[in-house]
Amino acid sequence: MSAAPSAPASRPDSARPDKPPPPPFVLWGSLGLIALTLVLGWDWEYGIGFSLRDIYDNLGRHNPVLEGVRNLDWSTLASPTVLAGFAETFQMAAIATILGGIVALPLALLNSVTGAPNTFVYVAVKNFNSFIRAIPDLIYAVFFVAAIGRGALPGVLALFFLSVAVIAKLTSDIVDGIDQGPVESARASGASHTQMVKTAVLPQILPGYTSFALYTFEINLRGSAVLGFVGAGGIGEVFSNYYQRGWYDRLVAVVIGFFVVVFVVDRISIAVRKRLL
Amino acid sequence: MITFENASVTYPGGVQALKDVSLELGEGEFVVIVGLSGAGKSTLIRAVNGLVPLTSGICRVGDQVVDAHDKKAIRALRAEVGMIFQTHNLVKRTTVLNNVLMGRLHRTATWRTLVGAYTKGDVELAMQALERVEIVEKAYVRASNLSGGQQQRVGIARALAQEPKVVLADEPTASLDPPTSHLVMRDLKSICRDLNITMLVNLHFLDLARAYGDRIVGLRAGELVYDGAAEDADENVFRDIYGRSLTADDVLEKEGSL
Repeated sequence: MSAAPSAPASRPDSARPDKPPPPPFVLWGSLGLIALTLVLGWDWEYGIGFSLRDIYDNLGRHNPVLEGVRNLDWSTLASPTVLAGFAETFQMAAIATILGGIVALPLALLNSVTGAPNTFVYVAVKNFNSFIRAIPDLIYAVFFVAAIGRGALPGVLALFFLSVAVIAKLTSDIVDGIDQGPVESARASGASHTQMVKTAVLPQILPGYTSFALYTFEINLRGSAVLGFVGAGGIGEVFSNYYQRGWYDRLVAVVIGFFVVVFVVDRISIAVRKRLL
Repeated sequence: MITFENASVTYPGGVQALKDVSLELGEGEFVVIVGLSGAGKSTLIRAVNGLVPLTSGICRVGDQVVDAHDKKAIRALRAEVGMIFQTHNLVKRTTVLNNVLMGRLHRTATWRTLVGAYTKGDVELAMQALERVEIVEKAYVRASNLSGGQQQRVGIARALAQEPKVVLADEPTASLDPPTSHLVMRDLKSICRDLNITMLVNLHFLDLARAYGDRIVGLRAGELVYDGAAEDADENVFRDIYGRSLTADDVLEKEGSL
């Protein structure tokens, strides 16, 4: 029907370039990672002998935990011990997140070029934050249980340090990415450093900071499940107790209950954070 | 009001942004600085409030020498010098009023800043500044909800809230459309006239420079190449300042004649 589209006018001077080869970093990086995995995982002198075969080999073995799954004792979830454990976990996580968040805010601000008043403070706070971050929460818990005895207090302290580490790190990463315009205008109006940080920096990082604090609350909830194993209170104490007594029917029921709680808190926190950012 | 004596600025990278500039601006004068990008306009303006320290030479505001290394003195001086920016530089997540109150920071105690408790007098000053630029009805609106022209008027109000003797404006119309540009320039002009505030304004549109400036200062590659009354600055003068013939891009209104 219609005439065929006319061929574009040929322009011999502007030949199309060949597609460039992929950057060598991607190619050699991928090959390197595969090689590293093989070397570390192979069954030889310096490898750990990684293999999925053990899973298959043990499938038929008697497994008390799986027995527990088969005879779940849901009534445990309503027992006073378990309810108190859940309540304690919530309380520990909330106190640690709030106190940790308060302490982490100045540490995050000082851990940034924009927020620190001078290089000395910047370097000192950066190292201090790295130090806090380098110690795992479980080690904090072991230390505080040894120092002040079993209970919720060592758990709260361990989660407090975990909160400070996480919130300070994540928040300080966004401080240096803020719009520098308001910072310049605050300086130009004769504001002191503290005033500049409060009026020009803080409003810009507040949504991110709040979001990180909420996320840390979830981390603390999960963390408290493990800390109970070293005597640091919370629902983890219940886990540890049932595990040691071999009450797997109750243990698995409580673990599933805990999973649901964490899942719901996670959903709520995602919804709240979406509105913040 | 503002004096430059043999002022030079060399940036750490070795770029010489200002070369031996001597200049004297009188009280209440409306001075427009013109020049191509990179001619040193922003540097000259930022030397006045010490945001860019001079490498050599002296700059004075009133009889006070601008010394960026004397933290206390430079903050007191900055309190007297308002500044308006090309990109408005508002804190977008907070209210218009809070942004204008930033102009009161130097006279506000640190604890008041930290808890956000500004005095009634400061709030009153901020409101008056907003009334002056006719945007007071937006006082409790988030800055991010304003148009570019409205944001720039808030920027002007913030500078006014300082009760300044001098206002510096760095390309105040560069991110605005032509009608809004005229509105902002008219605001600046009336502030200069009514409040007897010395204005130092960077512009790259030559018709705006001629229409609003009392005096035009031309910079080329960091050197002062023109200093004269705005009405004397004709096409030849601008050609000299720019070091090339003029194009339609050098004026805001294409059909308007220079």
